[in-house]
Amino acid sequence: MAKKLSTPRPQPRGMFIGLGCGLLGLLTVCGVLGAVFYLGLRDPSTVQRPTPAPAQVSVLRLGYSPDKEALFTDLVAKFNAQGRKSDEGQDLRIEAVRLDAEALVKAAVSGDVQAVSPDSSVWLDQIDRAWSQGRSTGGTPAASIGQSQSGLVGETRRYATSPVVLAMWEPVAKSMGYPEKTIGWDDLLQRAQSDANFKWSHPSTTSASGLLATLAEFYAGAGKTRGLTEADTQSKAVLDYVSKIEKTVRYYGEGELAVMDRARREGPSFLDAFVVQEQMVVSFNQQQKGNPGRLVAVYPREGTLWVDHPLALLEHPNLTPTQRQTFSRFRDYLLDPGVQQRILQAGYRPADLNVRLDTPDSLISAAYGADPRQPQTALQVPPGTVLDAVRTGWLTAKRRTNVILVVDTSGSMQGQKLNNVKDALSEFLRQVPSQEERVGLIEFGTGVKTEIPLAPLSQNRARLDTTIRGLSASGETALLDAVAVAYRSLQDTNDRERINAIVVMTDGLENRSRTSLNQLVRDLQAGKERLPVVVFCIGYGNDADLPKLEQISAATGGQTRRGSLETIRDLYKILSTYF
Amino acid sequence: MNRTRLIFFAVLLVAVAIVGVSVLTRQFQTTSAIPQPVAPKTVEVRVVTALPVEPWVQEAARDFNASPAAKIENSAIKVTIIPMDGLTAMGQFERGDMNPVATAWIPDSRYLVELSNAAFKEKFGRDVFLTDGEYRARPIAISLFSWGIYESRANVLRKKYGSIDWKTIHDAAIAKGGWPELGGDPQWGYFKLVVPNPRRNVGGLQAMVAAAGEYYGKTDITVADVTNPDFQKWLKELMGAVTDFSSLGSYTAENIALFGYSTGDGGQLLESDLLVNMQGIQTRWADPLNIVYPKYLTWFDFPFTIWVGPETTALEKNAALEFQRYLLRPEVQAKAISRGLRPANSDVAIPNESLFAKWQAQGATTVVPRTTAMRSPSRDVLLALLRFYDLQVAQR
Repeated sequence: MAKKLSTPRPQPRGMFIGLGCGLLGLLTVCGVLGAVFYLGLRDPSTVQRPTPAPAQVSVLRLGYSPDKEALFTDLVAKFNAQGRKSDEGQDLRIEAVRLDAEALVKAAVSGDVQAVSPDSSVWLDQIDRAWSQGRSTGGTPAASIGQSQSGLVGETRRYATSPVVLAMWEPVAKSMGYPEKTIGWDDLLQRAQSDANFKWSHPSTTSASGLLATLAEFYAGAGKTRGLTEADTQSKAVLDYVSKIEKTVRYYGEGELAVMDRARREGPSFLDAFVVQEQMVVSFNQQQKGNPGRLVAVYPREGTLWVDHPLALLEHPNLTPTQRQTFSRFRDYLLDPGVQQRILQAGYRPADLNVRLDTPDSLISAAYGADPRQPQTALQVPPGTVLDAVRTGWLTAKRRTNVILVVDTSGSMQGQKLNNVKDALSEFLRQVPSQEERVGLIEFGTGVKTEIPLAPLSQNRARLDTTIRGLSASGETALLDAVAVAYRSLQDTNDRERINAIVVMTDGLENRSRTSLNQLVRDLQAGKERLPVVVFCIGYGNDADLPKLEQISAATGGQTRRGSLETIRDLYKILSTYF
Repeated sequence: MNRTRLIFFAVLLVAVAIVGVSVLTRQFQTTSAIPQPVAPKTVEVRVVTALPVEPWVQEAARDFNASPAAKIENSAIKVTIIPMDGLTAMGQFERGDMNPVATAWIPDSRYLVELSNAAFKEKFGRDVFLTDGEYRARPIAISLFSWGIYESRANVLRKKYGSIDWKTIHDAAIAKGGWPELGGDPQWGYFKLVVPNPRRNVGGLQAMVAAAGEYYGKTDITVADVTNPDFQKWLKELMGAVTDFSSLGSYTAENIALFGYSTGDGGQLLESDLLVNMQGIQTRWADPLNIVYPKYLTWFDFPFTIWVGPETTALEKNAALEFQRYLLRPEVQAKAISRGLRPANSDVAIPNESLFAKWQAQGATTVVPRTTAMRSPSRDVLLALLRFYDLQVAQR
């Protein structure tokens, strides 16, 4: 059989080509569909984004008053060290922020802190009022029950309390009849007016104890123990009375801690009496070693106020549930029996009523200058508007000041140093609210120049600001001559009605003055009888001659502090509270 | 198979593939667009709780969360207690500041529930808390308002006036010479009344309602009664003896314990707070406190109230209901009694050994004799009282 010859058939090749095309087409279509499907999945409304992992640490920022810094920071550190966790496993942490009353109110309203622990509930009221004013829509308060009354301050618990008292050196108190006689505000005021050597002080109204002292004066001036009104605080007779009392105040100050520190260092020569919370007296007497004497707490007969150290949660809309948990845990921690005992050991009256005050180891006892049965009565806390009026009234009635700012503008002050000082001086002026205060400015380098003579701020505030902005640095350091010029200038005024003070700042060593240190100190001491002038010194940076500055300030009952580029502004701000 | 057929099959195959893939894709998309309801592992229940019952409810929540009762539809229930004064909570509800919205609310008094509903009815035309049906507000505990007054002071007042009532307190409050004029110790200063700030604590409103009841000798107070100038003068004089209406004055029984007679000789306060603090008062202050039940009686009933708004799911609402039932269990109610509260569950009796018995000598009693219950004041009456407070007392 002959093999049938055939031509090669084209079909198989065509079939392969066709199948290949078909498969290619199929793959292409599938690819397109796959791409469409994938893109469809990427639609933002349907895509499953990975949930961000929750932060591992939840922080509650808590503003607290400076007076209880040692205890509070210790308690916060111990709480944080316990490593408490939220129900969701986050670490719960407290970040404690030290704030004076004014800054605390601002931080609370702005949301910078989520909880607060001021010295007194009085400030909680201020927070609520500031918050309400910020949110006010002009409606009448009583338009609704729920909307108007509720402020920013939420759950509030007290963990420690302490009555405000007159702290006196025991011999001074005894000379006024203590302990047999109950001493009142009027006894203190009479003594201050009749005895030129009697020195007393109260903090400014930015602390609860300062506010109380001022309030007590206004009550006494109005002849009341309750029902103080705004009209009372503006009455000429009341303001004259308060003004008369305030003239006997040695000087004001930054707060209770600074006063106690100086009392410890200087003893009765510093002040005879000062207004603080009972805890400060107890704590002072607890650390008897090296103390210059013993203090006693005098509970004013007319009544006093309590500092109640509230712990308050701020109900900001963005408060997180975890922060709320942190607050609750910290609240429970503070009320724990062990912590309450620790609070008693720090000289406070614990909020837990099961902690007895009459046990042998209690610090609230006569052995520590306190009486657990006191106070018997309290002054009525007026509404916030009246408290504001009291603070305003105090500014007009308080003892006025003549203060000369003495500023080092030697060559070493060039650059950032001087720039920061300019800011600090401007801040100082801003903190002096009354236009009646008299301020002058002296700068020194190789020589001494009185830039702005002493005059009321109503006349020279603008010039002071301009001059401060224009200060420039050159030359050597005639520190002692500058202080001497400022001192003579104040002595020449012979103004006993006012607090007379010099705030001197230098960054280097004295190398130019004609006045010697011994001569200056002698002059400062000799002039005390004629017109007391207090000198506050700031050693700016590491090169300042602190021992020399301390000799100058000590001769006048003032004080010396070290400042730095970072702290100089705060330091001037603090010093402004003394005037 | 010729080339044309091959191409035909290839096209057909592609078409089938396109249709198949499209169908599959659509099916996938359909199933992913409608999520099947899956019960969550844990149902969160947030209960905003009035401060006087918060310690008890907090403890109950901890026990509940750990108990087998904390289950609903195969999900665990987790109850979180948010302590908040009733007025603060009401303000947050009304302003919409509560985020997330609470599942339930235990205010101090049913007044607050009614007031909230009234406010929301004006806004949205509906209640947000139900007063009937499954989710209706149910009291979980009761506490009466009673006089708490330091014994030394009470003795002087009884000697001078015979009894402790609002009239006596008013006369003591207006005594210009203070305690010496009343026959008391000069060291005591003037008479100091404790009344909570009604803008911060609904107890302040209760006190004013009770005072009005006694002034008029009736249980139903009207707006006309509140705005009567004679009554306002009387009430203003009375309130003039309050030491502190600041934030410090929000928690008054705690204040009277913490600060003793120095800030308050006495006041009409929550019985449970007085009973709980009685021991501490005796420990801290030498002078014990006397409890006196007033003729015109007011109280807090702490209603457990479920938020019926759309912000919470039905499962969460039902989970809250489970917790409400748990709070009314006899063994949980017994714990309320141990904290000086009266049980809301009528099957539960106050046992012989309780704070009521412990402080019987100081005047505490389980059965209050010869009293008249004040009726709930209307929203308008409460607003009139607050207006009076704002204008006549807060601005004093």
